[in-house]
Amino acid sequence: MIEKEKLQDYARKLMFEMSDEEYTTLQKEFDIILKQMDLIGKIPNISEVQPMTFPFVTYQQQLREDEEAQEGVLVVSEVLKNVKHEVSNQVKVPKVVE
Amino acid sequence: MDYQHQTIMDLRKQLDDGTCTSEELFQTALDLAKKYQESDNSFVTITPEFKQKKSQSLLNGIPYGLKDNFSTANILTTASSNILKDYIPPYDATVYKKLKQSGAVLVGKTTLDELAMGGTGTTAHTGVVRNPWDEQRLIGGSSAGSAACVARGIVPFAIGSDTGDSIRKPAAFGGIVGFKPTYGRISRYGLFAFASSLDHVGTLTRCVEDAAIVTDVLKGKDPLDMTSLENEDLNYYEHLHDDIKGRKLFYFKETCDLENYSAEDEEVIAVLTKFHELLDRLRKEGFEIEGISFGKDLLNAIYPSYMTISCAEATSNNANLTGIQFGPRGEGSSIEEIMFDARTKGFSELIKRRFILGSYILQKENQERLFLNAGRVRRLIVDRMNKLFETYDGLIMPASGGIAPKFGERSDELSERYLLLENHLALGNFGGFPSITLPMGFLHGMPLGINLTGRIKEDGVVLTMAQKIEDVAGYRGIVAGDQNV
Amino acid sequence: MYKVVIGLEVHCEVKTKTKNFSNSINTYSTVPNEHVSTVDLGLPGILPVPNKEAVRKALKTAMALNCKNPDEVIFDRKNYFYPDLPKGYQITQVTKPCGIQGYLDIFVGEEEKRVYIHQLHLEEDTASLEHFANYSLIDYNRSGIPLMEIVTEPCISSADEAVSFLEALRNIFLYCGVSEARSDKGQMRCDVNISLMKEGDTKLGTKVEMKNINAFTSVRAAIEYEIKRQSEILDQGGTIKQETRRIDEDGKTYSMREKVDAIDYKYFIEPNIPPVKLTPEYLDEIRKEIPVLEFARIKKYQNDFGLSFYDATVLAKDRGIADYFEEVIQEGAEPIDAASWVMTVVLGTLNKLEIPLTELFITPKMLAGVLRLIRQDKISLNHGKKIIYQAIEEKKDPLVIIEENHIEQIKDDQLILQHVQKAIEENPEQVRQYIEEGKDYVKNFFVGKVMQATNRQADPKVTLELIIQELEKRKANEGK
Repeated sequence: MIEKEKLQDYARKLMFEMSDEEYTTLQKEFDIILKQMDLIGKIPNISEVQPMTFPFVTYQQQLREDEEAQEGVLVVSEVLKNVKHEVSNQVKVPKVVE
Repeated sequence: MDYQHQTIMDLRKQLDDGTCTSEELFQTALDLAKKYQESDNSFVTITPEFKQKKSQSLLNGIPYGLKDNFSTANILTTASSNILKDYIPPYDATVYKKLKQSGAVLVGKTTLDELAMGGTGTTAHTGVVRNPWDEQRLIGGSSAGSAACVARGIVPFAIGSDTGDSIRKPAAFGGIVGFKPTYGRISRYGLFAFASSLDHVGTLTRCVEDAAIVTDVLKGKDPLDMTSLENEDLNYYEHLHDDIKGRKLFYFKETCDLENYSAEDEEVIAVLTKFHELLDRLRKEGFEIEGISFGKDLLNAIYPSYMTISCAEATSNNANLTGIQFGPRGEGSSIEEIMFDARTKGFSELIKRRFILGSYILQKENQERLFLNAGRVRRLIVDRMNKLFETYDGLIMPASGGIAPKFGERSDELSERYLLLENHLALGNFGGFPSITLPMGFLHGMPLGINLTGRIKEDGVVLTMAQKIEDVAGYRGIVAGDQNV
Repeated sequence: MYKVVIGLEVHCEVKTKTKNFSNSINTYSTVPNEHVSTVDLGLPGILPVPNKEAVRKALKTAMALNCKNPDEVIFDRKNYFYPDLPKGYQITQVTKPCGIQGYLDIFVGEEEKRVYIHQLHLEEDTASLEHFANYSLIDYNRSGIPLMEIVTEPCISSADEAVSFLEALRNIFLYCGVSEARSDKGQMRCDVNISLMKEGDTKLGTKVEMKNINAFTSVRAAIEYEIKRQSEILDQGGTIKQETRRIDEDGKTYSMREKVDAIDYKYFIEPNIPPVKLTPEYLDEIRKEIPVLEFARIKKYQNDFGLSFYDATVLAKDRGIADYFEEVIQEGAEPIDAASWVMTVVLGTLNKLEIPLTELFITPKMLAGVLRLIRQDKISLNHGKKIIYQAIEEKKDPLVIIEENHIEQIKDDQLILQHVQKAIEENPEQVRQYIEEGKDYVKNFFVGKVMQATNRQADPKVTLELIIQELEKRKANEGK
């Protein structure tokens, strides 16, 4: 079974924390899914298959022409609409230490 | 006929001949939404203001519900998560924009499983969604509110999203029609992403005809969604009654043959018996239907590979939820602390568990064994489906092995029944195939659904075949509480 | 002594009208959050749509760096949390970068050096952070601006080589028109990886990383400081820590953080960007747009035109100047003349008037025309220059000026002789000085007189010969 500490480390890297009981549930879940994935690994010649990312590929899609367009473009007030702390039209956060 | 039973075309006629106005329809829908909100909890936000832009569309003046993971400018959009509980988007999803332009009238934003990651309709930050047919039971998810408000008759149609079965499963549990067209047929711009390579936009309606009408409005190339498909010169609504004679369908023998089950699988046997009875009737109407062996290895692989791919993509897709640009700001004295706090408080336990799983799957040392193997098996499954589609026009399957479960009933995720009968709908997402669920009968007073999946881009063919199935099955336009057969 | 091993990671913003994955404008702005779209802000529900021009320019640059191009465009996600990264991932290229396995030939001083390119990929810039005493501010204008990253192999061995490479690379950007590449605007930034190893060792030393250096002079300072610092540590038997350091204004480097465990960026293919095929025809079309580059031109100017290395570098530095220079030759001028005049007259004028080449009135054809008249001895060198300057000032074709003022050189010996004799007769004192006091330089006085009298049209060579001839004649007569 996957160690709790390892899971805690993943949680930390994903920027959240969980309770002890939650980790226990998670350990069990990991067990189930990893066992099932092990079965997939045993499908004959699986390693020779090209992994699929897109449901289908048609090569009909085009890149976007580099022309100015309004769709999706926001004005400053819209950019800041949901921001809780702002100073001079910028988003204010605690000092970021590089 | 009362409002709750009316289809889009019923309402269209009344609007067109002046029997009622769109304001009146909206008011009726609004009253019903409020009336059933406490019992069903279909909505996160009911939009009480009548807003309509008139048009020539068939949807002009028709009320509808929109899943709360579609961006609506100036209307709260929460994805049923605490991390977005105060988020008011500055922009419209393409789907919402199209509905506004068609003159459809928004009644409310519907409840979903938090961030659309769940199949029960029980994980929204505003509480569980109950099945209008039986409030002891769930309706399924994640498009729970969209399914419930249509099953209840509050609106004739609602918009949902479908990553594994999030439209088609709740449609089955709610006795309505859930349609997810080909990947890219409807733009995803403005749909809060769960798993981008599996996410689809689709419709929940009470008849196939309405699914066709709404999809006709929503479909089309969108420059803001590169995966959207080129426009096609085909109106689904007009072709619904095309001849289906000679259309060939297949089902999975492993899943659907009665001899694979023992007597204690009483519910499954009842479902499958109804399924096969319907198939016999469909054969009489001109369909050719056969069982095929798909391969148990591949069928059993659907669920774990779906979990693997969807959790991995979801971890990344939701990394923008940090409370900095939007959402509740976390507390703390450093940037890390405020992000940490916002995410710790903002996500429920289930979501966090899935993110950790997804993150683990994507770790360098695990990618090969987990993420890439899931992608490989996805290809094997899709290739197999496409091979079958060279012979057959569609896959026909029961949407679920049983009726909507009661709250608290847990399914055993490793049982064969769970792996085979409750997860095959994700096939439609793996390959982007158009897939529709519609009612096929009742068991213990609860509706059962049948599912039809076809070739990519052949949405029209799937709808035409579904129309025939609906004609034969005979459950068009039912609403929760109807006396059933 | 230690062997220095340096690898560079160079980021350069690509010049386009719009951002890499959204419709907002790609421009340098001082007004915060002025050019931001839903995509740049990472709002829920957004989808990236890649910019064709950005891809095209990245492919073009990769070709200029002799890289192999992919058969299709694919992007990947690089996942990490940072406040300047609104989506929580950066869209970049790992699976199929725009270019791999290339090289760039450069001059380090006059020595040739080949720098190997590991890869070139297209990605997006982050938002910018401004730091104050106890808070930071985020501006999303820069978020999503197309960015090329060029990663070299660890094959650079000195500060000189590093800076020469950066200058050559910047030159490629400018020659190809893919970026303004201004370090002062942060459009070109560089990460330096440096390690030292003992002569004869085969194993690389511990790598120190220095991030985000804008100015090339700072790159030089940082490398030189690090070589010194690391050498001293190694001399004393110490070990180098694997860490990230930054360079301060004093030219010294300071530790930012020690390397803990490497971040796992959990790369995977961006599912919202379906692959787009790159046909050989399309790639050829781009390749055809690449001009002959600086390095090749320097060699050509030396080998074919016989120019010095210095002159060749001056002329090849700017694509416009180099093209101009080559056109002057095509219009019939001798390469040596063209080089000398472009370097003095043309560059001097551009400097003096502070105008770009495109605003210079004199075309290569005009310049070649004047140079031809000089070669044919029809006008003098000095005259030629004067006419060019006059042409620039009056915006008038120099050949027209020459024609209007009848200033073709007087080569008629008899005509010049008349002027010489007149000058000698009018200035007996100077003649006396020449004959009696042997003041040879007096002949220059007479050249001046003749020039004055002929409006500088007399051929100076002929004039001088005739003056000497006439003076000597008189000297001989005197002695009789």
